[in-house]
Amino acid sequence: MERRNFIKSVCAVSAVAATITPSALFAKEAPKGENALSYDAAVAAITGGKAVADSDKVKLTVPEIAENGAVVPVKIEVDNPMEANNYVKAIHVLSTKNGNARCADVMLTPLNGKGYFATRVKLGGTQDVVALVELSNGTFIKSAKSVKVTIGGCG
Amino acid sequence: MAEARKSMIKIKPKKFKVGDTVKVDFIVIHPMDTGLQKDKKTGNIIPAHFIDNITFSLDGKAFTTMKVWETVSTNPYFSVNLKVPGAGTITVDYTDNTGEKNSKSKKLKPKG
Repeated sequence: MERRNFIKSVCAVSAVAATITPSALFAKEAPKGENALSYDAAVAAITGGKAVADSDKVKLTVPEIAENGAVVPVKIEVDNPMEANNYVKAIHVLSTKNGNARCADVMLTPLNGKGYFATRVKLGGTQDVVALVELSNGTFIKSAKSVKVTIGGCG
Repeated sequence: MAEARKSMIKIKPKKFKVGDTVKVDFIVIHPMDTGLQKDKKTGNIIPAHFIDNITFSLDGKAFTTMKVWETVSTNPYFSVNLKVPGAGTITVDYTDNTGEKNSKSKKLKPKG
């Protein structure tokens, strides 16, 4: 009897394992690291609850389709003067579905001459890249663009 | 553990005058490990190792500071603009999450 029970339980366990595996694999697509912060939480942490308006002043350049999610070039240009009392204070690069939504926070000064930042980021899957820009008068503007990723780059 | 890393500062375009806006590109050879990947041979998790703070300064005066996370690609590249106020030295200081500190300098030589 004992052996029968043993075999039964083994069968049951493997059946359970078979049903769990696909969902476990799915969960891996958005892995959580120690710095994990969701997109909404990241936006809230940056703006402190202030309203963010979509604006065509922010020019975000990303590829429509990225073959390799590990290297996605991102270029942000802000059409705003860089004078002592009216300048682009910060550019935040965010992604909507990465485990850690934050990519880079760039604090600029009037010495920069132009609101410009370019880098390369990792994307775990097809999602939006968001450029959140803070102006010196405390207002936030943003621009978002979708990137199709064929091979994920995070984890 | 001050390990010297290979890094590079590029100023584009090569010829510029005082008052011009130039691109300052900074590239560093760094693994930018996320802490989520496994070593394919041993099966151990590769610990997170990424650059977290970068400061661009001109003659000791910071003009751009950055906070970055592991979501930036391996061997990262950062590009910002600078309105050239005159000759000087651009210094980029960067630290990573293991406490490693490095810096790289380049002379800024405007012509005319």
